[in-house]
Amino acid sequence: MAVDAVVVGTGAGGSIALRELARAGLNVVALEEGDYLTSADFTQREDEMIPRLFQDQGGRTTDDLAIRILQGRGVGGSTVHNTNLCKRVPDEILDLWSTKYRVSGVTPAEMRPHFERIESDLSVSLIPTEARNRNNDILRLGVEALGWRGGQLKHNRVGCRGSGFCELGCVYNAKQNALKIVLPQAEEAGAKICALVRATKIVHDGCEVKGLVAEATDDEGRVTATLTFRTRVVVLAASAIGSAALAQKSFVPDPSHLLGKGLRIHPGAVVAGWFVDDVVGDKGIPQSYECTEHLSFEEGSDKRAWITTAFAHPIGTACVLPGFGAAHMRAMREYRKYAVLTAMLHDESSGEVYVGRDGRPKMRYEMNAADRKGLAKGLHACAEILFAAGAREVVIPGIPPVRLRSAKELSSVDYSFVRPAGLPLTAVHPMGTMRMGDDRRTSVVTSEGEHHHLRGLFVADGSLFPTSLGGPPQIGIYSFSHHIAPHAVARARRV
Amino acid sequence: MVSFSRRRLAQMLGASLLPIGGVIAVVRSTGYELPLVRRGRLVVLSASEFSVLDAVARRMCAAPAELVAPSVDDVDVVGFIDRFVATMNETIRTDLFRFLSVLEQLCPLLIGSVTRFSKLDPQSQDSVLAKLEAHDDGLLRGAFSGLKALIFMGYYRDPLTWPLLRYDGPTIARAAGGP
Repeated sequence: MAVDAVVVGTGAGGSIALRELARAGLNVVALEEGDYLTSADFTQREDEMIPRLFQDQGGRTTDDLAIRILQGRGVGGSTVHNTNLCKRVPDEILDLWSTKYRVSGVTPAEMRPHFERIESDLSVSLIPTEARNRNNDILRLGVEALGWRGGQLKHNRVGCRGSGFCELGCVYNAKQNALKIVLPQAEEAGAKICALVRATKIVHDGCEVKGLVAEATDDEGRVTATLTFRTRVVVLAASAIGSAALAQKSFVPDPSHLLGKGLRIHPGAVVAGWFVDDVVGDKGIPQSYECTEHLSFEEGSDKRAWITTAFAHPIGTACVLPGFGAAHMRAMREYRKYAVLTAMLHDESSGEVYVGRDGRPKMRYEMNAADRKGLAKGLHACAEILFAAGAREVVIPGIPPVRLRSAKELSSVDYSFVRPAGLPLTAVHPMGTMRMGDDRRTSVVTSEGEHHHLRGLFVADGSLFPTSLGGPPQIGIYSFSHHIAPHAVARARRV
Repeated sequence: MVSFSRRRLAQMLGASLLPIGGVIAVVRSTGYELPLVRRGRLVVLSASEFSVLDAVARRMCAAPAELVAPSVDDVDVVGFIDRFVATMNETIRTDLFRFLSVLEQLCPLLIGSVTRFSKLDPQSQDSVLAKLEAHDDGLLRGAFSGLKALIFMGYYRDPLTWPLLRYDGPTIARAAGGP
């Protein structure tokens, strides 16, 4: 099959690239290895939706099993299960990329039109304060009591019913995401979306893209057909994990030896506070308030923690609570009385993506000492907030777990459990494995997103980011894809 | 002397032994019998894998004495895991089965026992699991965590368990479509 361009992946980055290529009048197809599920398919049940919406049935981890990586799978990618937080890439980060990492065209002023366009497309708005549930209000109360910096977050929901099941897909179709907004726009412009089709190899001659090979599968992953696309433009938008792994499997030139390197993931851990009155954290908008007191975007800063709420449904909660057996069940009985906060690390540790012997992507990642310290400070701050808001007991689910009855006890906490598999760590934001920049010695793709050595190969996802963001990346990914797309269009028109 | 031996054994239980779990399983996989009700009804689990998972699930989901809670049989934890594991990627499934072999055959050494995990008394099983959860080797801790997730998914997925937590469940009613 001959097409002008193939987009691999249909999440935030892929959907925008697909739409812009189609709107330019090009014959473009998107491949998505997961299924095409809509609000009619979502059941609000963890056991049913997690295996269908996440890579490796929700069991994806780093290769040392220390960090669970929750990454979307299916049409719409991670925008289907995320909690709709909308933050632009901070100006400080854009300035850093422009100066130190020599990325052109991404200063705050240059990126502003892209952010504005995406925010308009996705109906981004401030979450109304009356929609803040008690878990988020506890965060606000604690932050205000301590005199720390915090504030209400923005989201891309319209018509939210506050059911609290965002991470399992919205049955009320309130998410203004790739699945609901951008991909239908792409289809309207003539793009084709192929679900259950897994890209397996980029065909090239070492200088330019010639095509792409893919496998169609059934919904259990069995290969039913092999598809070959003749094209001169391939846009990788399969995440910082999937995109890098596909490029590696395809033996894309890598003279800088940076392909797959520089993996950042924003690892995070939770702290729970027990309150006398019910918190009912599973109801309402899961995350609507943030604390930025312990977050700095300056490289090398010891303020690395972005703090927000992190309530889960029963299975997620059971996995994070320490221990097992009778003591665990007693703790689960208090499900409604816990407020849960998370410290997400603005990480500087650098991991890598590589391809395992079974052909599947694997992730090697270990937090360096500074990041471990930064995360420990974040956990400490979460506990302080919870006590300041009135928690009677705070639990940090390390191994061994830390149980505290007052803020005074915090000074004696030994954070040596912040080590691989020493506490439940989760990451939801892979970034940085095909970083952008003008210097081909220090980056994989150009500032326009095209591979330095392989003409026609573009990247339009979080792989592009030279550093981590320190906040939810979806607006950044949508917007950088919007920044890259015209260059992919121009390339497709030239060939 | 004893403590030295146990430390050595604990070290041996680290990552280097995980890959040979499969070999051990072949050597010592006799003597397992499925309950009548399970015979011919499991999708992927062998009798030995079923026995280990069943034993672990009973300890992990054990209720406190003061509480009446659904049992692992009431909510069919291992039956769910069997169906779930059948849909897993083959590499991950193989790793899980190897870990079950290590848990069954080698982990009792952590408490100085040579009895298979599934044949230990409940208190000893709890001791083995606690040792595993806090083990020095990150890979073993990570594997324990994965197993715990699987078992609690099997338990807390069931609406029978939700009243324990005062959890209301979905706001919509739809036919189950999962494993």
